Amino acid sequence: MSTTTLNAPKVGIIRHFNVFTAFALGALTAFVVWRLGLSFLPADSESAPLFTREDKITLLSMIGWFLGFMTGIGALVAPFRWVMGKDLSHDENMFLAGKDLGVKRYFRYTTDHKVVGIQYLVITMVIFGIGGILAMLIRANLGTPEGGWIHPQAYNSIVGTHGIVMIVGTIIMVTGPFGNYIMPIMIGARDMAFPRLNALSFWLIVAAAVPLIWGQFLGGISTGWTAYNPLAGQSPLGMNGYIMFICIFALSTMVAGANITTTVVRMRAKGMTWNRTPIFIYGVVASVALALPAFPVFFLSQILSGMDRALGTSFYDTARGGSGWLYENLFWIMGHPEVYVILIPAVAALMEMAPVFTRRPLFSFNVAVMGIAGICGLSVLVWAHHMYMSGWAPLLNAPFMLTTELISIPTGMLFLVLIGTLWRGRLWITVPTMSIFALLWNFMIGGVTGIYLSDVPADAFLHGSMYVTAHFHFTLMGAGLTGAIASLVYWFPKMTGRMLDTKLSWISFWFVQIGFNVAFIGMFFVGLQGQPRRVEAYAAIFNKGNLVTSIGAATIMTGMLVLLAAVIGSWRSGVKAPINPWQAKSLEWTVPYPVPLENFATLPVVTEDVYGYGRKN
Amino acid sequence: MPDTEHDYFTGQWWKRTDVKRHAVLWVILTAFIGYVGTEVQVRAMGAPASEVMENVINLMRIFTWAAAPVAAFAAAISIGALMGDRHHGDFPPPESEHAIRNSPRAIALWIVVSALMCLFALVVGMIALQKDDRSLLDAKAIHINVVGQQWAWNYDYPGSAGVRSEVLHLPVNQPVVFHVTSKDVKHSFWLVQMGVKVDANPGVFTETAVTPNKIGTFDIRCAELCGLLHAYMQNKVIVESKADYESWLASQPDTGKTTWTEEKAAA
Repeated sequence: MSTTTLNAPKVGIIRHFNVFTAFALGALTAFVVWRLGLSFLPADSESAPLFTREDKITLLSMIGWFLGFMTGIGALVAPFRWVMGKDLSHDENMFLAGKDLGVKRYFRYTTDHKVVGIQYLVITMVIFGIGGILAMLIRANLGTPEGGWIHPQAYNSIVGTHGIVMIVGTIIMVTGPFGNYIMPIMIGARDMAFPRLNALSFWLIVAAAVPLIWGQFLGGISTGWTAYNPLAGQSPLGMNGYIMFICIFALSTMVAGANITTTVVRMRAKGMTWNRTPIFIYGVVASVALALPAFPVFFLSQILSGMDRALGTSFYDTARGGSGWLYENLFWIMGHPEVYVILIPAVAALMEMAPVFTRRPLFSFNVAVMGIAGICGLSVLVWAHHMYMSGWAPLLNAPFMLTTELISIPTGMLFLVLIGTLWRGRLWITVPTMSIFALLWNFMIGGVTGIYLSDVPADAFLHGSMYVTAHFHFTLMGAGLTGAIASLVYWFPKMTGRMLDTKLSWISFWFVQIGFNVAFIGMFFVGLQGQPRRVEAYAAIFNKGNLVTSIGAATIMTGMLVLLAAVIGSWRSGVKAPINPWQAKSLEWTVPYPVPLENFATLPVVTEDVYGYGRKN
Repeated sequence: MPDTEHDYFTGQWWKRTDVKRHAVLWVILTAFIGYVGTEVQVRAMGAPASEVMENVINLMRIFTWAAAPVAAFAAAISIGALMGDRHHGDFPPPESEHAIRNSPRAIALWIVVSALMCLFALVVGMIALQKDDRSLLDAKAIHINVVGQQWAWNYDYPGSAGVRSEVLHLPVNQPVVFHVTSKDVKHSFWLVQMGVKVDANPGVFTETAVTPNKIGTFDIRCAELCGLLHAYMQNKVIVESKADYESWLASQPDTGKTTWTEEKAAA
């Protein structure tokens, strides 16, 4: 027995798995399941709902795709070994970590957190590209009040897909690339607590993407990103794509959440007490820890939705004892924490950069932590403010108004930390520095409009209008995406070894910020005039506001394309970055580029926090 | 000996020129943000057609003016920072002269003020909410059933079991309670210029109430995505004098289709 182990090849079956085998096996399994389903599933009886058999076949094929893909990428090798009573050898683990594999490791089930970080960065950009194209299609269709050049069914699907694609993109935009690449180095760890779960969380997103695209060819997601029932129940087969997409993405989020939380709690360097842990780490942990209770609920809501479609249950079917309000509750129990999952790490990243670019200590670290903790705590208690007008529980409107408005207090704390840090600092004018100002501006508008919306009588007018759409774009994009782009500029040198082109990133910054404000202030305006959300045609009085929004959207697109050019150009042939280009004090700036496989030759010991700027006495 | 390096509030801090400059900026910006914020929004909302909508507009004014000092404070500090010590180039400026990490007074003040503002917003909102809720119980109100379906609204009128219309007719200055439901998926019944809205859910009735106070034609739009022709699920509400309303109602034929019943009106 021992001799066979010695003579066995150093790296077993793992070497054969990569993204190509994954796609091939996934497609093959899906096809086989589809064919078997067609042959063996009984036809619907007269009394059965219209889509049941097709729904079953579609969902089963998508599950087949998922299992085939995960097998093909090699995610099951290690669990299978454990079942057999063995584990991976050291060589195999090193192979999985991407040792000496060069570019190939980006196309494999690689466990190195730096590879996963780059993978997340690229997929985030792809997601924003797709979501952005969909946004431009929406604006193009709204170019005239009659709408019309896109069929209403396709238009509704574009709106829904834009929504869910961008939500997923913004959820992963900070914790994905920077939470994976930078965070372990920042806390002085050699890798994540569970490197294989890290690879799993990324490849689950790739696996999830395919059902969503698949669904576009089966009638699309014509329900908006919320996929409210009973509308989702009567939607075409494309809805199954949404259901599978959410289920797999929720798994990815849960896996990443457990991994990142454990890493930060257990693996910080010696001496890195909670008081010396950078605020960005708090932001990342708060975000994923908040996702931990939220996404299982999302997962469940879609499982029930799928069962209603395919198995004839009636969780959401009023006529047969169910309730659409059940879906709304489950959805928003996920949906409101989820906006803070997006927002907190972006704001925390800018709080991390504020001392670096003002050359002074962060103002009141404790208030920053209190603010993040307060938002997390309250955010699970506010979901029904999305349902003020649903009629579900009018008596609860007042208590939910209370919890919602209370969130302004911890949110205000984040503002205090940022403006306190700007006060009497020495501003080093860079894109991240100006992003702090942009965040303050956008988030202030997003926050104040949130107060109107939190107020039940005002919401009776504003709910379901373009005002809401503009409001959450101001928070998630104006604040969130601004923080994410600043993070990209800030950490690009560490992740690629090169500086991001300064001139192009400035051009992009101004195009995006100005375009953004033009677009969404125009959208506030039509919302106040009374334009509902998600319409493909509108009354003539909304002409001007929509035109302004479309001009703004085109400006944003220009800015984002410039940013893309800057990223691609600088990645290939940018100016070589010094080890610590911003003269920052956190640990990620102490490691060279390329960052060695296990980050540190000797693990660092931390003796003070990272905000020790300014004259000491 | 006051330690000027560890807090903003040391010595006669209010006499410092930078503090004074920021205070002036703050006052100017408060006035500017408050004025522009309210005027732009109120103008966009147009003329109200009910007291409920007048209250919504007042709430928008109150909240905007209440938020203006906060927004102006952040703006004043931001502008102050941008006008102050700026450095360009590839290398960082020298570190700052001070190492202020905390200011208990500033933090306490900020938290107390934000808590008070939160309380204020809540009280203002509760008063308006209570007024809206009470109108549901108005004994003088007439009751109209609203039925949404893909993609139209139908209105069933009181007392005349068969009257059903596709354009809503309402008598002016008469409290109305709407009982809203749906035949298929979720819709949302929005009387735009009257500032009320409630979702239409299949299988249940939801209520909202309003007293139109202007004669004229106003908009009703569906505010919840309900499928293919959601954008076109809109029609008009005609508010007319009591006499005109009565004669219109009398002139309507009995369609034989209604959801209106005596019990529902009494409920």
